[in-house]
Amino acid sequence: MAPLTQASDDGSHQALLDQLDIYAIPKPFRNPHWKPPQRRNKNVKQIIADVSRKEASVLASQNNSGTSTPAIQSTGGNTPTANGAHLHPNIEHAAQSLDRLVLERNLAAATGGSVLPTGPTVTYTNIESAPSFHPSSQKRYCDITGLPAPYTHPKSRLRYHNMEVFGMIQSMGQGTAEQYLAARGAHTVLK
Amino acid sequence: MAPSAIYESATPSGRNSPKPPPKKIWNISEPPFAGARPVDSSGYQKSSTGTAIVIDNGSSAVRAGWSFDQAPRLSIPPFMARYRDRKLNRTFMFAGSDIYSDGTARGQAKNIYEPGSNIVNNWDVMEGVLDYIFIKMGIEGSNGGINRPVVMTEPVANLGYARKTMSEILFECYGATSVAYGIDSLFSYKQNKGKTGLVVSSSYTSSHLIPVIDSKPILTHATRLNWGRFQSAEYLLKLLKLKYPSFPGKISDPQAEALVREHCYISQDYETEISNFLDWTGLEDRDHIIQHPFTEQVVVQKSEEELARQAEKRKENGRRLQEQAAKMRLDKLIRKEQDLSYYKELQEKIALTSKKEARRMLESDDFDDESQLDKKVKELEKSIRKARKQDVGDVEEPEEAPVFPLLEIPDETLDEEGLKQKRQQRLMKSNYDARQRAKAEKEREKAKAAEEERLDNEKRENNLDGWVEERRVARQAAIQKIRERERLKADLGNRKSLANQMRMKSIANLASDNPSKKRRRGGDDDNFGADDADWGVYRTIATGEQSDDEEEEDLNVTLKNIEAQLLKYDPNFTEESTREAQMDWTKSLIHAFLRGPWPYNPESAREEHQIHLNVERIRVPEVVFQPSMAGLDQAGIVEIASGIINERLAESPHQQDILKDIFLTGGNVLFQGFEERLKNELRATLPSEASLHVRTAQDPILDAWRGAAKWASEPSSKTAFITRAEFLEKGGDYLKEHEYSNTLS
Repeated sequence: MAPLTQASDDGSHQALLDQLDIYAIPKPFRNPHWKPPQRRNKNVKQIIADVSRKEASVLASQNNSGTSTPAIQSTGGNTPTANGAHLHPNIEHAAQSLDRLVLERNLAAATGGSVLPTGPTVTYTNIESAPSFHPSSQKRYCDITGLPAPYTHPKSRLRYHNMEVFGMIQSMGQGTAEQYLAARGAHTVLK
Repeated sequence: MAPSAIYESATPSGRNSPKPPPKKIWNISEPPFAGARPVDSSGYQKSSTGTAIVIDNGSSAVRAGWSFDQAPRLSIPPFMARYRDRKLNRTFMFAGSDIYSDGTARGQAKNIYEPGSNIVNNWDVMEGVLDYIFIKMGIEGSNGGINRPVVMTEPVANLGYARKTMSEILFECYGATSVAYGIDSLFSYKQNKGKTGLVVSSSYTSSHLIPVIDSKPILTHATRLNWGRFQSAEYLLKLLKLKYPSFPGKISDPQAEALVREHCYISQDYETEISNFLDWTGLEDRDHIIQHPFTEQVVVQKSEEELARQAEKRKENGRRLQEQAAKMRLDKLIRKEQDLSYYKELQEKIALTSKKEARRMLESDDFDDESQLDKKVKELEKSIRKARKQDVGDVEEPEEAPVFPLLEIPDETLDEEGLKQKRQQRLMKSNYDARQRAKAEKEREKAKAAEEERLDNEKRENNLDGWVEERRVARQAAIQKIRERERLKADLGNRKSLANQMRMKSIANLASDNPSKKRRRGGDDDNFGADDADWGVYRTIATGEQSDDEEEEDLNVTLKNIEAQLLKYDPNFTEESTREAQMDWTKSLIHAFLRGPWPYNPESAREEHQIHLNVERIRVPEVVFQPSMAGLDQAGIVEIASGIINERLAESPHQQDILKDIFLTGGNVLFQGFEERLKNELRATLPSEASLHVRTAQDPILDAWRGAAKWASEPSSKTAFITRAEFLEKGGDYLKEHEYSNTLS
């Protein structure tokens, strides 16, 4: 294999490799009896699938009383809510899980009434950001040049900036349009 | 119709002014091979069994050092390569940047992390990297373990399995006395003395936002955006592959990362900036050329002298050939003249001798009779005359019209020989007549063209405006025709277009054996070809390269002529308004996108290996703000931040305090303009009276490690370590919560 370093002749390259190699170096800090478990490399999908299976079985015990659920906020101020009504927990909802409410009160008493929010536990999957609802996410950019795209090519669904780009799309070979769409995640996936 | 509607008025939109050659051409950087790293055991000597080894287990680099260090001693990319060299019959193992030292090692290198995620999933590599770290930190391991506490960073909401496996390795394989886990961005926040605020960490494989109140992270409100510099580099590679589908070189992942780091920046007003990014003015500064390594095709430049010599040689050769030919012709001529004189002598002799004798003489010379001899003599005379004319340069006597006397004589009066000759003469006559007719036709046409030109000139002189108008209309018609042809060509690419269906119909008609109904009525002969235009059908069905080059050429020539005339006589029609100028590459957006404001020569290997980064420079890092651009169905970083502050923490009494400290950390915030852009956009989502302060970590990359080291050396952190006994008792999943850690789920 071609050496990539300046030490281009074989001898010095081999010497460099010998110097870098850590396989032969004694590693006394390693437990000589350590045997890694079989098949310990799992990909994220696998781990998450395992976790969610486990989660599903314990979910019932994680129901909370509803007091700590953040109430809907009137951020815009356009929709007037009944004054102060949202500050109180939903009695109806709390009544459904009175046992939980009692548990939480007890816990709060035990920890000195701290205001630590409870709620669903933090997991790798549920901290993922939600899809955007902001109108700015509706902006369209040309799939080819990245410039603002007022038009959409009806056949390939590619967004394009002007006539010249349109001409380019027209002359595109088969499959190219799909690759452009894939860069935007809008390609067709056959399952 | 108003004239301006018929043709594009002579707009001043001609060629753009040329640009000076590019000021700077960047090179593609090779991945960094740091060189062999010596074992540094000074830290180990200084440490005691209570000194923690701090490892920032990042996905871009693993950084390690002692808790008393000011900066990590090691910072290595999270790779390990282990392979067996069959020739040497030995196993090699390289970790960190050492993998860049050798081609095989690089090919065999594997990442600790699952590509594109922040979760460790290759534990053999993890062990290899840890081996490397402990070796280089000079750990003796006299009692079969590292015998030191370890502080390790982990992602927000790390998966239980990952933590469990890590604990197993650290305790069981390396014999750590105790282990503590913490979140890197929170350590960075600690290092920058933050108490209450919003930690915005945009790092290598993901971006996180974590609100912190009174040094306590509110992890229930933490949010992850699956985008970081790794994804940016991947996105750039994807875009470049689409931009230059036939690019001859290959760009590796680390090279793409270097490109993102060096050339990208965050635009303050993306919409406006991207709209004007490919404008001609200033494009030479916005467009960055990256030169990929290439080998120049060596074209041997011949010197002037050499070229002259070659030309001389060629000429000499030509002369020699001509001389030879002339000589041969002369020889032939001489031989023919000798023959002629011999035959003439023979003729004379025959005339004098008796018939029998004459016959014998003729036969001895292979003649049947006298007429044949005459013919031979005539032929020779003719050819000699011709050769003389050509070679010796005799003046050509005007060719008199040949006479055909036999044609006048009726057939009955001729014998067989005469009839033969008559037939021949008739043939020759018709030949001659046709030639004369063609000549006359040519003359007539020439006269007609001259007349037309005269009329045209007259018209132009008398009524320039009208003439110009006419020419412009003609020009427009030619352009229209060219466009039509282009459209037709494009249409033929579409199987369902009308043009293509017509073509299919003609093909089917041509190929079908049974004549159509119409033909049956008209008889057997479909008289295809009676009209020359019939053959045009083959041109219409032919597609591909040479299908209608000829016609196109004609149209272009016509257009060129009209434009030349207009250029000459129409004061309003300038060089700028010719179609060629309007179609010039300097006007092309696509050209600016692909090749910047410079001409492109596809022959040049150097230019073929160039990448032009222009819109990508802001398009790629913009994804953090607008993830939908790259098909990531998540909210952008500003929307998440405003969601956390304005909605999730609307009720919190600390909301205003959080706004006073928006803290940026992680390698992905190093883009120029990141802080300013985030500030401006976040500002827009807040009430006007709210005060907002955004700051960036002093060192967005290393502060996580520094914070962790600082924390590890504080006595208060001692309780947050999981001891070996606790690990054995409570299992690998066990985690002690502290103010920089994840919560136990």
